[in-house]
Amino acid sequence: MNVLRGLRRFWPLVLLFAIASVKAAEEYSFDASAFEKKPFELGGYVELKQEDFALNRAGAFYKLNNFGQPQRDDLGRTTGTLQLAGKLRYGIGTFDFRTNSGLQRDQLAHDHDNTIFEAAYSIRPSPGLTMEAGKRALKWGKGYAWNPMGFVERPKDPNDPQLAREGIWMANSDLIFNPGGNLQTIAFTPVLLPVGNDINSDFGASGHLNPAAKLYLLYRDIDIDFAWQGKGSRPARFGMDFSTNLMSNFEIHGEWARIQQFTRPVTDSTGRVTSEVGNATSYLLGLRYLTAGDTTYIVEYYRNATGYSDQEAGQFYQLVNNAFATGSGALLQKALSLSRSSYGRPNSGKDYLYFRAQQKDALGIVYFQPSVTAMMNWQDRSYQVTPELQYTGVKNFDLRLRLFLLQGGISTDFGEKQNSRKLEFYARYYF
Amino acid sequence: MKKLMWLILCFVALPAAAAIDGTQILQKVDRNLEPESYEMYRKLIDIQPDGSKKEYVLYTMKKGRDKIVALFLSPPSDKGRVTLRLGDNMWLYIRDVGRPIRITSLQSVTGSIFNNADILRVDYSAEYNVETAEEQKGALILSLKAKTGEVAYDRLKMWVDKQLLLPVTIEAYAASGLLIKTLHFKDNKDFGGGIKRPAILETDSPLHKGYKSVMLFSAIKKRDFPDEIFTLNYLPRIEELRK
Repeated sequence: MNVLRGLRRFWPLVLLFAIASVKAAEEYSFDASAFEKKPFELGGYVELKQEDFALNRAGAFYKLNNFGQPQRDDLGRTTGTLQLAGKLRYGIGTFDFRTNSGLQRDQLAHDHDNTIFEAAYSIRPSPGLTMEAGKRALKWGKGYAWNPMGFVERPKDPNDPQLAREGIWMANSDLIFNPGGNLQTIAFTPVLLPVGNDINSDFGASGHLNPAAKLYLLYRDIDIDFAWQGKGSRPARFGMDFSTNLMSNFEIHGEWARIQQFTRPVTDSTGRVTSEVGNATSYLLGLRYLTAGDTTYIVEYYRNATGYSDQEAGQFYQLVNNAFATGSGALLQKALSLSRSSYGRPNSGKDYLYFRAQQKDALGIVYFQPSVTAMMNWQDRSYQVTPELQYTGVKNFDLRLRLFLLQGGISTDFGEKQNSRKLEFYARYYF
Repeated sequence: MKKLMWLILCFVALPAAAAIDGTQILQKVDRNLEPESYEMYRKLIDIQPDGSKKEYVLYTMKKGRDKIVALFLSPPSDKGRVTLRLGDNMWLYIRDVGRPIRITSLQSVTGSIFNNADILRVDYSAEYNVETAEEQKGALILSLKAKTGEVAYDRLKMWVDKQLLLPVTIEAYAASGLLIKTLHFKDNKDFGGGIKRPAILETDSPLHKGYKSVMLFSAIKKRDFPDEIFTLNYLPRIEELRK
């Protein structure tokens, strides 16, 4: 009895030990059955993004984009995004989709959009053969910031190369072989891409069923791709890429692509536009290096044959200045039209250098990754530097803060952009 | 004279016969840990010095000595990521990025003490040669040296349970002799199908003081896979192979 009475006095301690042992057991429990494959899956993320722009009122693109509107020195924009990704499995087939819904508001306007990024049905009669049809975002090429070999995809944003992009309606297939020996893998991906008034109308001229294909080889330890797109909605093009590790922590990659009979509109400062037709050969060389201290360096050089030299771009900027100086409506319309097509594309120059350094677990904080990215137009020496802080240590959250600093003189790529600085923060929650 | 020759031969041969065959032991350790081709589920737990945790769940398939693929099932921010290893080559496929990028064995796709070489581990005997094997206090101690410079750790010191022929502790060293991490195998469990092995693998590192990573194993089953799935083109569809 005395023993029981003694134990009773220690019951809080006993309870604590009991809880502690249950917690210890819980700590290392794992039941894989909770992760069984389900016939229907749904996931995605919600994101809240705040962007604050310092506007470059002397810049050609500021003048064009804000023509006829109240003039401002800064702009704040809030964007809410919901991205849903799902999968429905039935028999040998799988239907998967990804939608993107955005709501955007700044001092000048508000907007919303709902876009199907991907929606495709695929079947696999055998492990080496997959056939699918629907909207799909294929990603070809080995470049980190640019992909001159991305023939059947929307252009990548070099400021956010890892962002999901809207796909293109197509039918495609994947045939995989493993011959063995030095040639470890062969994979062939044929694509058929229709363009009409109601389908893929932004891809090119309508009324074409565009064929394209990619052949992938893993030869020894080198990834090699050959890609081709037949003449149709766009001029014919072909290219190749490679990627390999020279050392376990040192990777090199390259891309080469030629567009045949590419038409490039070129303007002079008076607004006289000539169409230059010729083969455009673009290429990219890059490397990725990881140090023992977990710093990753990415360096790329991009030769963009479809872009404009600094002299050609200078003529366009002069045209914009002339249009505003003279107040000529015709010149302004011409400049606006050119800015919305070829001259206003992101990275419309000829030669670019890209550099990124990112430090994993910096300052001893796990999941904290600061980085800095720099992009330079090599011909006019204008550049953009982007310091960035990212933290993924909170469960299911991704937090990122970036500051874009653009630097360049008059008539330079980054000096004539709409903004001179941008502060961006987003919080993304995955579910 | 003949008798003398036999005696000399016996003296020469006896120590060799009694010597421990480290290579054979390492091969047995490999097979006792997993069948050559298998599927399994793993949970990775990263524990920070303040006690906070981050967990990942992976589905893994391996074929032969050096083909392995791992699919992230959880958390939602990493779901759909796939890592593939073919010999010394490693790639990471992120669904949003949409194309595989090459990664290195010393990186960690999870950010834990476990690096890619730990997560995509192939047979020890495929990567290491046994330099010495000795018996100490009922345990076998194997000193392993990497076959090439591409292997994540230059040297391993492996304590092996003499009866079960399963690893108990592994110390991983860099070429400089620096201890990178220690792996502790715990909780031997019967997974069925003749697979009896540790269900828990803990690791700590003098380079990450206060941090700990734990790997829990579940549903290890022998299963054969076609070669085609261990290719870059198959990575977006790898989940469809789960039963």
